[in-house]
Amino acid sequence: MSLHARWRRVRTAAIGAVTIGLLAVGCGGSSNGGSSTDSDTLIVYTGLAGDWPRVFNPYLPTVSEGPGTIFEPLFFYNIARQDDPAPRLGTEYAWNEDGTELSITLREGVEWSDGEPFTADDVAFTLNMLLEHEALNTQNFQGEPTVVDDTHLTVSFDEPAYMKAPDLLGKTWIVPEHIWSQIEDPATDQIQEPIGTGPFALTDFNPQAFTLSANETYWDGAPALPEVRYVALSGNQAGADALAAGEIDWQTGPVPDMENFEQNHPGYKSITVNAFQMVLDTCSNPDLGCTGPQTDPAVRQAIYYAMDREQLNALAFQNTAAEMSPGFALPERDAGYLSADLENQTVPMNADVQQAQEILEGAGWTMGGDGIYEKDGEKLSLTVRVVTGWTDYITAVNTMSEQLKEAGIELTPQPASNNETMDARGRGDFQLQIDSLYPGPTPDPYYVYNNFFNSDNTVPVGESANPNFSRYSNPAVDEAISELNQIDPVDTEARQQHYDTIQAEIERDMPYIPILLGGTTSQFNSEKFTGWPTDVNLHAYPAVWQRPDQAQIYRSLEPAGE
Amino acid sequence: MRYYARKLGFYLVALWAALTLNFFIPRMMPGNPVDTLLAKLQQRGGSVGPDVRESYELMLGTDTGDALWNQYFSYLGNMFRGDLGVSVSVFPEEVTTVISQSLPWTIVLVGIATFLSFLVGVVLGMVVGWKRGTWLDSLIPATTVLSAVPYFWLALIFVMIFSTSLAWFPLNGGYDVALATGWNWEFINSAIYHGFLPALTIVVSSVGGWLLGMRNMMVSTMSEDYILTAQAKGLRNRRIMTRYAARNAVLPSVAGFAISLGFVVSGSIITEQVFSYPGIGGKLLQAVENSDYALMQGIFLIITVAVLAANLVVDLLYGFIDPRTRVEN
Repeated sequence: MSLHARWRRVRTAAIGAVTIGLLAVGCGGSSNGGSSTDSDTLIVYTGLAGDWPRVFNPYLPTVSEGPGTIFEPLFFYNIARQDDPAPRLGTEYAWNEDGTELSITLREGVEWSDGEPFTADDVAFTLNMLLEHEALNTQNFQGEPTVVDDTHLTVSFDEPAYMKAPDLLGKTWIVPEHIWSQIEDPATDQIQEPIGTGPFALTDFNPQAFTLSANETYWDGAPALPEVRYVALSGNQAGADALAAGEIDWQTGPVPDMENFEQNHPGYKSITVNAFQMVLDTCSNPDLGCTGPQTDPAVRQAIYYAMDREQLNALAFQNTAAEMSPGFALPERDAGYLSADLENQTVPMNADVQQAQEILEGAGWTMGGDGIYEKDGEKLSLTVRVVTGWTDYITAVNTMSEQLKEAGIELTPQPASNNETMDARGRGDFQLQIDSLYPGPTPDPYYVYNNFFNSDNTVPVGESANPNFSRYSNPAVDEAISELNQIDPVDTEARQQHYDTIQAEIERDMPYIPILLGGTTSQFNSEKFTGWPTDVNLHAYPAVWQRPDQAQIYRSLEPAGE
Repeated sequence: MRYYARKLGFYLVALWAALTLNFFIPRMMPGNPVDTLLAKLQQRGGSVGPDVRESYELMLGTDTGDALWNQYFSYLGNMFRGDLGVSVSVFPEEVTTVISQSLPWTIVLVGIATFLSFLVGVVLGMVVGWKRGTWLDSLIPATTVLSAVPYFWLALIFVMIFSTSLAWFPLNGGYDVALATGWNWEFINSAIYHGFLPALTIVVSSVGGWLLGMRNMMVSTMSEDYILTAQAKGLRNRRIMTRYAARNAVLPSVAGFAISLGFVVSGSIITEQVFSYPGIGGKLLQAVENSDYALMQGIFLIITVAVLAANLVVDLLYGFIDPRTRVEN
């Protein structure tokens, strides 16, 4: 027999074997794989890249889950619209005359998920724990809790603390004293087996997914949603793929072709809310070490007018962004706070090149031969920092640099890694930086003003500022903010004059150049579950990573049934 | 004996140099863990007040105020005690926990894929080299093209065809998350099923290198006199191919294989990213993205030790197989 023939036979056999092997694996797999979608388990992806750490300590920044679902706050503050705080573990609260003592009434008959009763001692223990462990006290709580009886306690402060209430009442996760008092250092404990009062309890954990199940002894009755499973994926791209394949029921993040989302994803709906204010941070304060043309308010104003926001919204943000106000109150949610004295109630949506140039020329800038303004030999050329890989922001700054060129302003994007960009933002090592100002714990623009415009929260260039990155310092604004601290938020009339002051000042100085209100888009499976928030019923901020709003939404969901 | 002692000494120095680089390189990167963490919280709805920064600095212990040299010496000490520290990105988990959770997945997936790729490449290379000038030669450009295609693109195409369109394989993950983790048949089966496509992409993209190397060695070995002698003796062709030609031709590939085994633990970052696979490559990316120095050092340490160990084995093995390398001058 010839060698050739024998080899041919071996070859055929080998190919056959490989083919059979492939088929075997392929078929064997498909019969039992992908079966992880149960008909009434809500499968969510929070956008976190990588596996889950077994961290259920609600006070750690790396917590996998817990705030709102396992551990409850006293009240729920809805940042999506102007609602009164909704009772959770607390039922009522009241301030004394001058805002130095807060009396809280707690819900009766609440039990921890291990069967122990919940009392005012647990609340006092939680607050004292914050005082004791500075690392956990991210809200800088400085009060003194006193237990009156099992369902009543008071918290006293040295000075009026009205504005501390939302963090204290809405973002302080009450933990069980009988368990946490045994923990050596709550700042370094993972809390692998969390016990809380919340509507859900942890029932299953592995690094690729963990499951929360309805708490049968919840004070409001067990939620209709029996199980929530959190899956681990490698990032936005994997999230969009899994959504397209129907493997997840709720995620918050951009997906391609947003306009035709509902045709492309039958059974799914998407909702967009606007609460993050997209801006250009400017290193604005020469007294604190900022250098560059953007330290001139005229330049900031000119950039403000030279932007074509309609085009930016279409090209960079898939039209999910919305109009914002140069007074930094959200035009819809905070309509009541918007000052009548503002020059523009909302930002101009189209470029006004003439206005921009008039402002520049009024400040002594002259047009140079290359079509770019200059002053004292300094060209009106700015760099803008942006994170590599954040495609919407990159498109936005590239578009902006085209738009500003029309007005004689040169803008050069300066992409760098996330770590480097955020580090530079803190240290003031930027001229402009595209960024977004996050909302506070309650629907009140006070928190944006205090965080980003109060000179208490900034430091000279070179040190890490947080979060007044623009290094804005204006005594009139500082004064108005400290006045607001003294006034009970229900007295809207007394507060409004201070809001008017702040808005007029920051519209003129413009340390953050307003772009648009960023859209937070979530996609959810409306065929499998009912009770999702809608545009007309925003009973919570609909983002899966927003805590404790996510728990509020889980509580309202019901499996639609097969 | 002096040969081996010298080798070992050399590896100790290399290990120290690598450890030192592992310490300094991450610290030269821009960024710091606290600001990165705060930025992440701010983008994801955390209402980050002015007092948060200080609290987290305290919590993560990132601002010790120690001089860099003191940090370096305590780092060396901790390394030798096996204390890799606490990870910042998944605080307060220990780095050893993070690594021990993800390393097995990578070793099994990338290890098996590397082994298969080597085996298939060498066997095919042997046959192709033996039958040079026939239609089999077309295998070389075909597989080289597959290796030349950017890996992430190949992987995404495979995902699109086999997962999204045909739905033969799962889209992502290392196992079916609804099953209990453990040594039961159902779980292992789901792990194999989930690992198949990632492994296939690794094999397809790397088999070309082995094939080409083996084929070329075969061709040059076949012109050796002892092959001619064997043929003159009237030995069967198959025996000549496997025992005479391939056995000599495979030596450089074996050395290459041992070294690539060392790189198995560094995982395949892109594979793990595309398939959301729970391995060490994804952890390394996570560490870099969060300026998590302790985790980076831990992973680099494992990679360094693995690569050095693989090299050492090759060195020692070579001294044993090929006495010429032991000769001192």
